[in-house]
Amino acid sequence: MSIGITISDVSMSFETPTGTKDVLRNVSYSVTPGLFVAIVGPSGVGKTTLLRILTGLTKPTGGTVQVRGSAIEGPPDGLAVVLQDYTRSLMPWLTVEKNISLPLRKKRIAKSELSARVRESLAEVGLEGTEKSYPWQLSGGMQQRVAIARALATRPDLLIMDEPFASVDAQTRFDLEDLVLKVRKDFGITTLMVTHDIDEAVYLSDEVVVLYGKPAGVREVVSVDINFPRSQIETRNDPRFAELRTHVYSLVRGLSEPTEVV
Amino acid sequence: MIMTWWRRILIVLIGAWIPVTIIYAWWTLSAESANPYFPPLSLILERFTELWFSQEFVVTVFPSLRNFILGYALACLIGIVLGTLIGGSRTGIKYAEPIIDFVRSIPAVATVPIFIVIFGLDIAMRVASITVAATMPILIATIQGVRSADVVQVETARVFHLSKSQQLWRVRLPGALPLIFSGLQLGLQIAFIVTIASEFLGSGFGIGSFTLIATESFLILDAWTGVILMGLLGYLINVVFDIVERFTLRWYYGQKKIV
Repeated sequence: MSIGITISDVSMSFETPTGTKDVLRNVSYSVTPGLFVAIVGPSGVGKTTLLRILTGLTKPTGGTVQVRGSAIEGPPDGLAVVLQDYTRSLMPWLTVEKNISLPLRKKRIAKSELSARVRESLAEVGLEGTEKSYPWQLSGGMQQRVAIARALATRPDLLIMDEPFASVDAQTRFDLEDLVLKVRKDFGITTLMVTHDIDEAVYLSDEVVVLYGKPAGVREVVSVDINFPRSQIETRNDPRFAELRTHVYSLVRGLSEPTEVV
Repeated sequence: MIMTWWRRILIVLIGAWIPVTIIYAWWTLSAESANPYFPPLSLILERFTELWFSQEFVVTVFPSLRNFILGYALACLIGIVLGTLIGGSRTGIKYAEPIIDFVRSIPAVATVPIFIVIFGLDIAMRVASITVAATMPILIATIQGVRSADVVQVETARVFHLSKSQQLWRVRLPGALPLIFSGLQLGLQIAFIVTIASEFLGSGFGIGSFTLIATESFLILDAWTGVILMGLLGYLINVVFDIVERFTLRWYYGQKKIV
């Protein structure tokens, strides 16, 4: 079951030799269960910091993140992640199969069920038959597919992705974007994704959260009112797509005023 | 295909020419030797086949090999398990570091007399000396490797809800294996040295003891065959180690080849 996630007044500051550096100030936003949300903003604005707070890896210096009605103290149950650096987030000493089943070890799942899940997840991402390969024997795009399969195999309620397609080539990127749309259609998992690619944010999401400022806050939540299913050719040629991407782009660049503040 | 076949032979030839030259030089230069301490190589080899292609081989080599394998296996087990536990805990390292730094500063062979006092001239003494000496580099490498685990790997394990102990044994430890193997290699050499050295004291068994007794009895030919046998054994042990390493770290070498 998909779950929501509520960010209330989250602030983050770091102690540096030159003094306190405020990165985030009073970030508030509530993710509706089942939605796909992209977080965008200029480089260095604190997107990844916010994402780390949402995964429970970093404690915010102020505010709370709530999942299922209570503030998180660490990685929440039902969370799965896909990180940018797949070469480091997949364990190189484990085969694809073992990588995918690693997070399932704790869940007391029968052996037959385990291999069935591995197979299903690999089929979902279109990587049938790679069970016995090592991740580093696969291309970058395939490795990221393995990371997505690993996330899906845990049957997550919440999926968090940090720049998942930043390290692959453009063609692979389009393929992976469409894979993510398919996963969304098949499972409807609440998904939060950080990206620096505005087209990608608009193409994939229901809502785009724009972070802006130093320290950063939510500048605007842009609702993407383009119907699913979306396609690389038609959606990207939709006039509404162009409008939205221009709007998000000017927000990220600090060129336009927010139209609605949430 | 034929190219690689030829290349392989070429590589073996390139690797072999120095040892072959040395053996040839030794053979010819020692051929007319009348010096009792440097007998002709031909005589040494003759004695070698006589001695070691017989029952004597098992009787002499078995105790050494047994002590070595027992001592080294214990060292691997203790070094890796203890090292992982220490490296995985922030306070563990603070308590362990001074002790480790002290023990590892003691020359490996110097502990033998202490273990004679504790265990007498028993197998236990020899195995204990080997273990203590060989554990140190393994322990240190494991602690370092586990501590310097890849942050992304550990955090990935964390967000996927692996328990602390799973993070340690299933992520940090395997990630540390390339470093641990350099400790294992160092420990291997030390274990072999201490195996032989421990037999120099109060022992009637083993290849170290055999060689020492031969020297003291002016059986110079026998002593030379002992030295050569030790060399061959050491070489063989290294070959086995390399095979084990290549197999265990095949993911590491495979990954390096591609990147």
